[in-house]
Amino acid sequence: MTVQDPLVRIQGISKSFGAAVALENLDLDIARGEFVTFLGPSGCGKSTTLRILGGFQQPDRGRILLDGEDVTRLPPEKRHVNMVFQDYALFPHMTVRQNIGFGLELQGLDRASIKRRADEIMSFLELQPFAERYPAQLSGGQRQRVALARALAPDPALLLLDEPLGALDAKLRGQVQQELKSIQRRTSKTFFFVTHDQEEALTMSDRIIVMNHGRVEQDGTPEELYFHPATRFVAEFIGETNLLTGKVRGVDSDAVVMDWFGQTLRGHAPAGAPRAGDAITASIRLERLGFHAQRPDTPNALQARVVGKTFLGSRMAVDLEVAEAEGARLKAYVDTDLGQSVGEAPVWIGWDTDSMAVLRD
Amino acid sequence: MNRGNRVLLSCVYWAFVLYVFVPLILMVLVSFKDSKFIGFPIRSWTFEWYTGVFADAQVLSTFGYSVVIAVLSTAISVVVGTWIAVLLEGRRFWGRAVIFGLTVLPALVPGIISAIAFRIYARGLGIEPGMGAIVWAHAVHNVPFVVLVVMARLSTLPKSQIEAARDLGADPLIAFLRITLPYLVPAILGASIFCLLLSFDDFVRSFFLGGYEPTLPVLIFAKLRSGMSPEINAIATVALILTAVVGIWAERFTRRLKKETEG
Repeated sequence: MTVQDPLVRIQGISKSFGAAVALENLDLDIARGEFVTFLGPSGCGKSTTLRILGGFQQPDRGRILLDGEDVTRLPPEKRHVNMVFQDYALFPHMTVRQNIGFGLELQGLDRASIKRRADEIMSFLELQPFAERYPAQLSGGQRQRVALARALAPDPALLLLDEPLGALDAKLRGQVQQELKSIQRRTSKTFFFVTHDQEEALTMSDRIIVMNHGRVEQDGTPEELYFHPATRFVAEFIGETNLLTGKVRGVDSDAVVMDWFGQTLRGHAPAGAPRAGDAITASIRLERLGFHAQRPDTPNALQARVVGKTFLGSRMAVDLEVAEAEGARLKAYVDTDLGQSVGEAPVWIGWDTDSMAVLRD
Repeated sequence: MNRGNRVLLSCVYWAFVLYVFVPLILMVLVSFKDSKFIGFPIRSWTFEWYTGVFADAQVLSTFGYSVVIAVLSTAISVVVGTWIAVLLEGRRFWGRAVIFGLTVLPALVPGIISAIAFRIYARGLGIEPGMGAIVWAHAVHNVPFVVLVVMARLSTLPKSQIEAARDLGADPLIAFLRITLPYLVPAILGASIFCLLLSFDDFVRSFFLGGYEPTLPVLIFAKLRSGMSPEINAIATVALILTAVVGIWAERFTRRLKKETEG
């Protein structure tokens, strides 16, 4: 993705640790005010990228431009970038106010200005009641907010967040996700968020960059990634999906026609369309399969039998066996009412061309 | 644990407590005895020995001399020891194991051997026996304890603490002074108390390296040669109370410090 006048420009960054390659020739632009998430399994290079941006690691090759200025060799203290650490790294011997004031003090601000700015950020994040407490006297969620306040206080151009929600329990995490997103909107700061949690990434981000083995798998909005995954890795890593492996019959203007267990299906074409005869995999999300009593007029329609159901509360997961195609199985989410009403009789399953993404590899 | 074991364990425990404390208690009791002969029974009591000790100019000046030596040698070992600990901890470099080994060696060499070695070395360098030589020997002997205690504490400092400080604009020196050092305070304080007591208690090095002025243990030794007397018990009791007070205060202080910052 190219961005006009990007805040951060990452140019051809590579980094290895011994024989292990952490990053391979990464190119990336980050726009101002974006909430960008780096998503991937551990060891995919997302944390290394973050640490290189923060100045804690040096790339073997490549450059980092911040606001047009080359910062590749600058130490962390010389960069206009702040970080929220995974373990928060609050200073235990300083109160909340002192923690928040630390960065301001080192900027050379006078006492009155430090106090004003610390008060401002504490009231913004509702931390005023805890101003004189030590980190040990705070709950996990409060500590997380102090870490955020401390990183925001010096007004950085870019805020780095290294899996800051990992230590919170599931219920609190959802709440903090909303909070974080709203803080990002209100401050219109550029947030660079690293996580391995796909749900977290989908909830908060303007843009998600999926990493695997030190390379970018896909770069796009949450919706793009979810509905039109480019690769098998992305399709499987984000959400649940049906993967359909078949052969290309032909390519239309906007669709790939494929053969799957003798059935003809049409899917959304990836960049660099495949040729007829290629082996290919397509991904269709579980909730995109529609149930019909008669054959629907969607481009894709199959007759199938329900062979298993799992109750999930508001919806049900249904296992399907496609009629007249030995071994062809699909999984679908349906509303619980509908799920409970379907019986042994075959049903029609239909979906749009656009709902099914043909994958690149 | 079954009952028999519990009874056995508490027996062993109380036997140990008696073993440690009975000699001390006897020493303290005899210091109040109104007679020159050390032994029981005690028929009448007196504070005479204590008033004698506090009126004895030599005992008082010797006590002061020992305290000054303890404070100076502790100050040196804390600075040097912390420095070495910071250089060694969490880094890998060629010769690290050797440097570490040499650092802790002074704690393992028998006191008599290191005392003689220091004496010869001091003479070779033209250093006069006296306070300087004693302070030097005590400091060298105490450095390993500081190194070990500070390194242990340092190894528990999360790396992210320093990174966070750097991230917020601190250069390595400021990060050390504002983050690492405060984190080390309990360890440094504990090590200091230990060094103070080690130095105050030392006989062999002080004896070999001392000049005309004795330290307190050397004075007690000199007094013993002219025969035991409850006066020595009184001196020892005062020393015991002082060291116990310092030790307990330090323990409580470090505990409070930890509680405040670590919850």
